[in-house]
Amino acid sequence: MEHEMTACRSLVRLLGAAALGALLLAVPAAAQTPSGAGTPKEMVSTYNTLADGLLALKSTEANLVRSILAAANAHGQVELTRAQKAIAASDAAGARSAIEALAADVAQMATEGDNSVAAVRKKLVDAGQNHNSAGEAKGIYDSGYVIVTRAAKQKLLDSSRAIAKMAASPNGPALDAEWKKVQSVVEGLMK
Amino acid sequence: MLSGIRWLGALLAALMLGRGGAVIPAAGERAPFRFVNVSEQAGLTRVLLAGRPDKDHLLDSAGSGAAFLDYDRDGRLDIYLVNGWRLEGSRIVERGQHALYRGLPDGTFRDVTVEAGVGGEGHWGSGAFVADYDADGLPDILVTNFGPNVLYRNLGNGRFENVARAAGIETPGWNTGAAFFDADADGDLDLYIAAYIETTEQQVLDAKRTLSWKGVELVAAGPFGMKGAPDHFFRNEGGRFVDATAAAGLEDRALAFGFAVRALDADDDGDVDLYVANDSDANYLYRNEGRGVFKEVATWAGCALDEKGAAQAGMGLATGDITNDGVLDLFVTNFAEDFSTLYAGAGDGLFDDVARASGIGPMTYRPLSWGAAASDLDNDADLDLVVVNGNIYPQIDRHPEFVGTYAQRMLLAENRGPGAAPLFRDATADAGPGFEQVRSSRGLAAGDYDNDGDVDLLVTNLDGPPSLLRNDSPGGSWLIVALEGANGEPNPIGAVVTVRAGGRSQQRDVAAGDSYMSTHDPRPHFGLGKAEMVEQVDVQWPDGTRTVRKDVGAKQILTIKYVAAGL
Repeated sequence: MEHEMTACRSLVRLLGAAALGALLLAVPAAAQTPSGAGTPKEMVSTYNTLADGLLALKSTEANLVRSILAAANAHGQVELTRAQKAIAASDAAGARSAIEALAADVAQMATEGDNSVAAVRKKLVDAGQNHNSAGEAKGIYDSGYVIVTRAAKQKLLDSSRAIAKMAASPNGPALDAEWKKVQSVVEGLMK
Repeated sequence: MLSGIRWLGALLAALMLGRGGAVIPAAGERAPFRFVNVSEQAGLTRVLLAGRPDKDHLLDSAGSGAAFLDYDRDGRLDIYLVNGWRLEGSRIVERGQHALYRGLPDGTFRDVTVEAGVGGEGHWGSGAFVADYDADGLPDILVTNFGPNVLYRNLGNGRFENVARAAGIETPGWNTGAAFFDADADGDLDLYIAAYIETTEQQVLDAKRTLSWKGVELVAAGPFGMKGAPDHFFRNEGGRFVDATAAAGLEDRALAFGFAVRALDADDDGDVDLYVANDSDANYLYRNEGRGVFKEVATWAGCALDEKGAAQAGMGLATGDITNDGVLDLFVTNFAEDFSTLYAGAGDGLFDDVARASGIGPMTYRPLSWGAAASDLDNDADLDLVVVNGNIYPQIDRHPEFVGTYAQRMLLAENRGPGAAPLFRDATADAGPGFEQVRSSRGLAAGDYDNDGDVDLLVTNLDGPPSLLRNDSPGGSWLIVALEGANGEPNPIGAVVTVRAGGRSQQRDVAAGDSYMSTHDPRPHFGLGKAEMVEQVDVQWPDGTRTVRKDVGAKQILTIKYVAAGL
């Protein structure tokens, strides 16, 4: 996960530097182009490169959010296994701890990350960066959400609550059943 | 025919109020509530300033809080009001003075602000939070500000001194709600202070209305598009507060727009948790993992978002066993055209949003809601909800075609008791002249200022004097418990009182920081219905020691002093 994030940061920096470099190269060339002959082709080319970069960044953002979901999902699987082992061993405290962690993982999937990510999302929305404007207008997505639809969010929150309620009275089969519901939602989002 | 007229009357009244489900008592029936605004005759005349008339910046319309306290320990409640500034354009016209009113035996108040030295340091005030932070037996006052906070230490001679800088809690910025509580169970009071947005005085003064409201008016911008300011947590180390926000796990990771704060034992495990209502962001529930280290659990605990999974615009809050099942509930007030949310405790620190089913959601949909209290206003042994309302945009009054007005009525939602469905009845229309007033209100503190056994209401209003709604309801029996802690401190924060009477158990905790930037009467109040005797009063002191009184007469203010275990 950390490796993926580092890779994303590097990509963003690289694209930014490339776009800036292209622009700097294009400006002197554009200055030599006679006026009134249309947009200088060097500028169009640079703009095109910039567009590719921006679109790549958007795609990178979507992939990053998918990575956040995948990481939470993987962590959830670990917690589920831990919970089942604790239940089998009649370790109530261990089961409780694992089930609560699992509930937290599912909640984080619902909200595309924890509160720290919420701060980033707010920053992007405030700056006008939006992945799903059309989807938001139709009520399919909450503001700033990239992958998780409102419907999926609601299902994941419901599962998170259902799992949390099992912390006080752990039940292995019920836990598995709820996790299967989560997997169904996550698979739909990751397509 | 008569019943038809009654029915028509009730329907008309409900339509006039714009509230579905309102039921008016029939002729000859006695209304359960009657409140009268006595602020002027009681001497509460301080005008609370709130920026510019057009509310060009959110600070202009945020308003301020109030507190009931007994600073001189004479057994009568006093009142503290927090004030803002008056602006004209970008010019500061007046820096409002806060006000301390001393309660007198005849039910009036005397302004003792100047002699007490608590008028403020010239900052734009937000909230008032009362606690004996230094355990000297005297209530102190924290005033959160847009600017450095002020901590008025009670000197015991009718005077206070500001010790905020020495105490280490000035934290300049837009500070809002706060709560004193013993986070690490070491016997002293720690402090959490929420913050709203990052903004400067110059930005406030230069503010222009740039946000389009429904395409017809420009109104104050924000909070969207603004950076949230981080909340702070301070550990009390011998009377000096040390910032321990990160170490305690209380980092405001979402940089949420924080308003209301309440310390409470949300999971009933014996340590104190913390709830923060955030504007336009998910709310926080910081669960105490022991020794003062917290984990934020609100989303999976079911009290961060509404029933549809949406973050709401949290303004104020109230707590208590609102749903009559013995489990603590949370009530959060929100923006206009949205439900205020009742998170019913499901046990084990989990919550379910029951705003719709309980009826409180639809009742709160139209107004923009702020301060709130869960208090038994008719002394019938359950907690009613009172909510103060008021929009932030004066410009909406030019558009009757849209929902809402700038000045709004308060709401009184009567708890119909265990098993009732829906749980609440909108009783505003038959709550007396006090509930007919229409203001843009913000803060709310509940307390029995005249010591007559019913809970009165203190309300702050933008650009006007406060309202003091005296409770003249023909209510039932009651008990008020006045606590005196180990060091003589009045009503120690974190104490929990459980009363059993008339076949019911009720519980209250003592808190500093509640509602919207306000502090209620610290003395636990219980409505007892028809019970004339209380079978048992059980006090759990903050250190875990218990004091039990049996067979106590009702209709009294019962003083219980701390006695160390084994004595």
